[in-house]
Amino acid sequence: MRRLLVGLAAGSMLVAASACGSSGNGASDNTGSSTGTTTVKVGVIPIVDVAPLYLGQKEGFFSKHGLKLSMTLAQGGAAIVPGVVSGQFQFGFSNMTSLMLAESNNVPVKAIANGVASTGVSGKDFGALVVKKGSTLKSAKELEGKKVAVNTLKNINETAVRESVRKAGGDPDKVKFVELAFDQMPAALDKGQIDAAMAVEPALTTMLNQGAQQIAWPLVDVAPNLTVAMYFTSTAYATKNPAVVKKFQEATAESLAYADAHPDEVRQIVATYTKVPASVLAKVILPKWPADPNRSSIETLEKLSVTDGLFKTAPDLDKLLP
Amino acid sequence: MKGLNTALGAAGLAAFLALGEVVPRVGIVKEAYFPPTSRIASAFWDELQDGAFWSALGDTLTGWALGLAIAVGAGIVVGVLLSVVPHLREATASTIEFLRPIPSVALIPLAVLLYGTELRSVLLLVVYASFWQILIQVLYGVQDVDPVAEETARSYGLGTWARVRHVLWPSALPYVMTGVRLAAAVALILTITAELVIGAPGLGATIAVAQTSQAVPEMYALIVVTGLLGLLINVGARTVERRALAWHQSVRGEVAV
Repeated sequence: MRRLLVGLAAGSMLVAASACGSSGNGASDNTGSSTGTTTVKVGVIPIVDVAPLYLGQKEGFFSKHGLKLSMTLAQGGAAIVPGVVSGQFQFGFSNMTSLMLAESNNVPVKAIANGVASTGVSGKDFGALVVKKGSTLKSAKELEGKKVAVNTLKNINETAVRESVRKAGGDPDKVKFVELAFDQMPAALDKGQIDAAMAVEPALTTMLNQGAQQIAWPLVDVAPNLTVAMYFTSTAYATKNPAVVKKFQEATAESLAYADAHPDEVRQIVATYTKVPASVLAKVILPKWPADPNRSSIETLEKLSVTDGLFKTAPDLDKLLP
Repeated sequence: MKGLNTALGAAGLAAFLALGEVVPRVGIVKEAYFPPTSRIASAFWDELQDGAFWSALGDTLTGWALGLAIAVGAGIVVGVLLSVVPHLREATASTIEFLRPIPSVALIPLAVLLYGTELRSVLLLVVYASFWQILIQVLYGVQDVDPVAEETARSYGLGTWARVRHVLWPSALPYVMTGVRLAAAVALILTITAELVIGAPGLGATIAVAQTSQAVPEMYALIVVTGLLGLLINVGARTVERRALAWHQSVRGEVAV
């Protein structure tokens, strides 16, 4: 037994040493394999928004351009931006505000392809402000003094809700924002811990199934057809591998167009990488996937973010956007 | 006595499961957020049929086993080294006390920056958390060496290695085994946490996906799996402990004269 333990100890030290020693420098340069296919790692979030990538991979849009995607499900943008900047992922998915925040802090990121957009239709968007079943709140203006949950404070959803309140004639500074993960919003709203929630799918459908009422569509209020999120890479990777970036852009554009035109296939593919129950998935409102980002909507989002004091220095959109 | 304990344990678990069935059914908590035991059990059954579940389980066990092995190996080697080299212990004592309370999860941003969402990120957190459990126990164990035995070994002319092997190690082993048992549980917790927060493949990441998907029964089913895993690991660690210390009075249950 003692011999065994000593051996075990020595062995595990070796494992530790080799694990630290081999290929310690990320995978930023694993381009060009023998088959001519480049495998790129993409940091994504397990939500409906990134379905086009999965669909595009399945339909062969990426392999046609000599790319193979290795999707990594991260728990949120918090793991994706550092992952891309440090070269663990070649590409990542992030919302526009986070990307602008990164740019204004001189984090070397470059948005390269459109990610997802709001439908731009009030009453039929994938994100909405909801209140509990039977709530007396009827408009965003009445949220003054009320507790409103957003998934991340000082980010895109807070900016959007503030705009809804402003447009409804209220003072957004009087709204009490609290941070709550989307998946916890249904229970919190139900128990009355919050008065309203800025929810996106599939939490939105879950809440509506429980009788929650929609009172505003903040993403629509920010700008018609707001570009909500984009795919990005690090400036270092973009400079070093312009060909791969171009291929990714082309294949993604095809995938976005395909996803937009085939909602049923989108719902099918979402079931493969999430656990959204079939009953919810059938009712989920799908976002829009235009091939190109809507620059003017991003400029509006930037302006609102500046008003809300999100940036110390305004981001340079010419540097950030493709 | 042992049979009674098992019966009591089973009864306790059955009562707990029954409570889990009744509480949501009578509406004390909403079924939508806390499904009754039977719903969780059926989701659990569905998971067992799913290949993705087994590969996630494999990923989690790999992270756990590898992390624990590295922590145990490093903890023992460093612990013995600190104990046998004079002054080294004093020189490192304050550093160890400074590093030890740092929660492993605080290193998550560092892990992501270094290794992304790979296994190595998980290992970093697991090893950091469980290494101290082992190290501290080894240090205590070495302190517990009987000075008479140590002096006797010296006067018989045993070298450093022989004294480590025949005097220090047997005295410290009960402590080391306690450390391994504690570290095994901590390693599991940190493996799941790392997967949950970072998104490294494994049960934790699957729980996170179930959470964002609003798949409540599946989420609880997976949480139950992690509980069962913890139970098995504890039973396993105790068995190993009993085997390794079969010669020791704490296990033999008789007072050494």
